Amino acid sequence: MKRNYKNLLATITTVLLGMVACGQNDNEQVALKPPTQQEVKRVQPQTQQPEPAQVTENTRQTYQWYCAQCHGIEGKGNGINAKFLTVPPRNHTKGDYLETRTDEQLFEAIKFGGLSVGRAPCMPAWGHTLDEDTIHSMVRYIRELCQCEAL
Amino acid sequence: MKIPAFFILIGLVLLPPVLASAGPLQDKDCGSCHRLGDSEKKNSGPDLHYAGNKFQAKWLKQFLQNPEVIRPAGVSTAPGFLQGSSGNPHPSFAEKEASALSDSLMGLKVSGLTLEPVTTEPLSKGKRAKIKYQFERTFSCISCHQSLNLAGKVRGGISGPSLINAGNRLQADWVVNWLNTPEVYTSKSRMPRYKMDSATQIQFTQFLMTLKKENMNRRAAGGK
Ligand code: HEC
Ligand code: HEC
Ligand code: HEC
Repeated sequence: MKRNYKNLLATITTVLLGMVACGQNDNEQVALKPPTQQEVKRVQPQTQQPEPAQVTENTRQTYQWYCAQCHGIEGKGNGINAKFLTVPPRNHTKGDYLETRTDEQLFEAIKFGGLSVGRAPCMPAWGHTLDEDTIHSMVRYIRELCQCEAL
Repeated sequence: MKIPAFFILIGLVLLPPVLASAGPLQDKDCGSCHRLGDSEKKNSGPDLHYAGNKFQAKWLKQFLQNPEVIRPAGVSTAPGFLQGSSGNPHPSFAEKEASALSDSLMGLKVSGLTLEPVTTEPLSKGKRAKIKYQFERTFSCISCHQSLNLAGKVRGGISGPSLINAGNRLQADWVVNWLNTPEVYTSKSRMPRYKMDSATQIQFTQFLMTLKKENMNRRAAGGK
């Protein structure tokens, strides 16, 4: 019952966020429903914790190569695209927000994009670029950046 | 006399990289910043070894006379990229030189690659709205690329090349192929890989081909 309520909330926020586009604001409105990316399906929630992933040199390089464009070199949300987006890239060094998100939520945001977890579509889906192990290690790296764990 | 000519011809056909490096592009040392042939090295400029597959000849000629900024944050493989430095203005050339350079560039192609021709019929208003929506939301393209909104205003991120003039600059066949198999052109893209069906690829391409500098609203763009 609680879970359903949560899902409903997530859907509502997704739809609301769906109204916002990613470039700078203007008055264009297109009355279409927010789809999620083709072929990207939701995964079943994990019942048991996966093996803790490792942060390696490769993890850091991957973050610099792809994520730093928006999230910034230090993960502070100030990458070169940041000031052109309607919703700012998340600051990955801020523990007080990130501890309210579970590792699964972060994993899904990275794999399926912002929309999939009720966040802004400006956050692209990386599931066809990065394999699951790499994504798990990105979650670990973000935990390192925020020096926080899920509550 | 006939036989050496024949061999030279064969040589030219078999060795496009050699051909590429023995013309105006070499005289002007374009290879010091651009990849023109097979060897991959660290360059400060974007790869041009497939320029003939990618660009419209008319645009190349104009660019070389009157260079414009395409990557406001610099080239994605260059060192200063994430700091957002776009570097010095591009060298420019008189019409005749630009023409010769552009001709040589149009001769640089990925060997053995044949691109499916794409018809770029104008998009209906409804289709355009739908694909624009996908560009901005479903696939987050606008987070990294500048495009034009319906009022002709420039919007979007700057880590990818600006697409506000894509319709004059790029070949439609190439755009489809880039969306389908970017690895043909580079092993180190910063753009996410997308799995999309070919109908969607074609619609994105048709949408991008509608983006042209002349549709830009100068007033909305800041009076320039
Ligand atoms: C094109 C810009 C862009 C790129 C590139 C990008 N992100 Fe994001 N990301 C965003 C934006 C914008 C948000 C904020 C979404 C929101 O708050 O609604 C975000 C949010 C997030 C979040 C938080 C989601 C939540 O629960 O609030 C995580 C985690 C994340 N990004 C990880 C990554 C990783 C890892 C990469 C690299 C593989 C990456 N991002 C690349 C734009 C980007
Ligand atoms: C000092 C380094 C340098 C030299 C020398 C140089 N270029 Fe460039 N070139 C660049 C950079 C950097 C860009 C990217 C500009 C941008 O995107 O805003 C560029 C962009 C281009 C483009 C547009 C490509 C694209 O993908 O948009 C063409 C065409 C081009 N150069 C041709 C040439 C030719 C032909 C020569 C030789 C006559 C030459 N360049 C010499 C650095 C250089
Ligand atoms: C995370 C940033 C990002 C996102 C999201 C993104 N791109 Fe790109 N794109 C780039 C970068 C960077 C390049 C330049 C090549 C490279 O380094 O990968 C590029 C290159 C391109 C090019 C070739 C342009 C040229 O002049 O060389 C096209 C066309 C293109 N992208 C279209 C799209 C479309 C369509 C989408 C959405 C389906 C999209 N991009 C999403 C970053 C992005």
